[in-house]
Amino acid sequence: MNSIEEKIREEAKRLLDEKKVDVVIGYETGTLPLQTAPCFITSSDEVDKLVWNPCCKQNLAIYVHSALTQHRESQKRVKPEDKKAKIVAVVARGCTSRSLVIHLQEKQYNREDLVIIGVPCQGYIDKNKLEAKVDGLEVITGSIDGDAIKVETSKGKTELSLIEVTADNCLECRFCNPVIHDFMAGEAIPVYESDDEFAVVDEFAALPEADRWDYFSAEMNKCMRCYACRNICPSCYCKVCFVEQSQPEWVGAGVNPSDNQVFQIMRMFHMAGRCVDCGSCVEVCAEGVDLRKFLKKLDKDDLDLYEHRAGAELDKEAPLSTFRENDAESFIFEPK
Amino acid sequence: MEAKLIKKAALGDIVKKIAGQKPVYAPVKEGSKVHFKFLAKGESPFLAYANSVNAPKNLFFPQTETLMHYTKTARGNELVEESETFSEMVLFGVRPCDVRSFKLLDMVFDQKQYSDPYYVEKRERTTIIALACRQPPFSTCFCTSVGGHPAQADGADILISELDDDYLVEFLSPKGEKLIKLFGDLRAADEAALNRKKELSDEAVAAIKSHIPATEIKTWLDSNFEHPFWDSIHQGCLACGTCSYLCPTCHCFDIRDEAQGDDGIRLRTWDSCMYSIYSQETSGHNPRPGQKQRWRQRLMHKFKYFVDNYDAISCVGCGRCVMSCPVNTDIRKIVNDIAKLN
Repeated sequence: MNSIEEKIREEAKRLLDEKKVDVVIGYETGTLPLQTAPCFITSSDEVDKLVWNPCCKQNLAIYVHSALTQHRESQKRVKPEDKKAKIVAVVARGCTSRSLVIHLQEKQYNREDLVIIGVPCQGYIDKNKLEAKVDGLEVITGSIDGDAIKVETSKGKTELSLIEVTADNCLECRFCNPVIHDFMAGEAIPVYESDDEFAVVDEFAALPEADRWDYFSAEMNKCMRCYACRNICPSCYCKVCFVEQSQPEWVGAGVNPSDNQVFQIMRMFHMAGRCVDCGSCVEVCAEGVDLRKFLKKLDKDDLDLYEHRAGAELDKEAPLSTFRENDAESFIFEPK
Repeated sequence: MEAKLIKKAALGDIVKKIAGQKPVYAPVKEGSKVHFKFLAKGESPFLAYANSVNAPKNLFFPQTETLMHYTKTARGNELVEESETFSEMVLFGVRPCDVRSFKLLDMVFDQKQYSDPYYVEKRERTTIIALACRQPPFSTCFCTSVGGHPAQADGADILISELDDDYLVEFLSPKGEKLIKLFGDLRAADEAALNRKKELSDEAVAAIKSHIPATEIKTWLDSNFEHPFWDSIHQGCLACGTCSYLCPTCHCFDIRDEAQGDDGIRLRTWDSCMYSIYSQETSGHNPRPGQKQRWRQRLMHKFKYFVDNYDAISCVGCGRCVMSCPVNTDIRKIVNDIAKLN
């Protein structure tokens, strides 16, 4: 057990024992090698389930949103004197904390509904990178030893360095530490200042239009419309998604190139100024659709046009919820 | 039934040859993932695969299928049935678990009283060539716990088993025998080959390390529709459709019309009980309001309702849902946990 893990458990135990929170949302060891699953701890006897390691992938903010929203719904028909409060604690890395900030900015719940157990984060293992390293074979056993990962496949054992399978979004992350927290499990770590954070966007933008279209179409054709990307995304919390609306029907139900593209384009555009580049939408995709390249472009525009990074500062207004006279509008009047 | 031998190296070319004559749906490697796809002209199937990401059910029960076209006219609606007729097809390289899934899907789509013409036509026109597992493809495989076998393929027309230097090719049905001549030079399988198959098949069974008490939980499910256990499995579930869409036996579908002006099509698409709108009623009421009720439905359908209706568990133990669940919800663990409550 590492010291961060130890501190998470201690804090979770304290919060539950002192009845400061109703549930602690964190990660537990999964049933498959190098996997974790989200877990929901309601009793201090169970805090030893909580883990922290490079296999902790999902952005847990979406679970905070659904727990608090469901609770609010459940209290609607309760007499005022019987209403109960619900406070949720969450293990939050940088990107998770930025999603929580977005929720707070968008008035989804109140700060006091939430206890943030912040963790410094050096990135998680990208399942697609790992899969490519082992040529699509199943990882039968896997363990992390410092900066190395030992994996066993049907072709034998190999050792990989952690850095070569760390997700791209983590390698370029400037938010290794949570932007807001109530408790820090561990020391803040130095931020990795990537000087080519948007290289992935610039390289792609430099390609001829036909190549870009081909790449985009091929990626969208992989989509099986399971909606895992939408459902893990903390910024996708609409009560009714446009995909499920039938009057009017915005997007056809069929899995075909144009409906897939419409779904993904519309979802991505809802992410303008709201995507924290946590990589969860890519990580959950069974077909390995590369959504990040396109979402990162929105991130770049957000920064270039509005000097804004999604969820980075609680007090800074998001571009889509404010208007300034000198707002950039070149993308409307002079689209490239 | 005829049993023949071919050299291992010859199989790829044989399939390529079959694909020159009729559509062949076979495993193809794209990047590091393997999918079932129609082979392009001159394309060889990927033989060294474990199992595919997607289940081959898509061939008989496509994710999106047009059932009919309609046109609004002054005289009323004119209906034109989808007139696509299917040529004879070959489904090559199906693992035994996925072959079993077709028997289970037949129970739903090909009943005496209710028969689904769209499914049945494609099913009847397809010859299934199964590829036995010499080793269980994944550590998550549990076919033997749900009535399957890694090296037997009841329901296939041809079963191919990997031996040492050869493949043993067994032609199990008249449909399969029709393809004999496309296999070219075949040697008759001797006693030794059949014995070796038996040996390897026993080894494959022994190599399956994942077991679940699938048949033991029915009685508990029968009487525990309401139980605190159901509060413990769904919290991490994202309500996405990954498990249902990759599952070889999940078969729920939705039907809707898509119209443009006076013309429209009636589409059938896959659906998933994990989605909130799956059970949403027009009034706004949803009898399965949360993920708890939806997970209970998924479990109950596979291990109770299907058993009640058809006397079979609606799971073939391929492990796809276990491996691809984005939040590692593991149906094996759930079944094991239920068995402990018994």
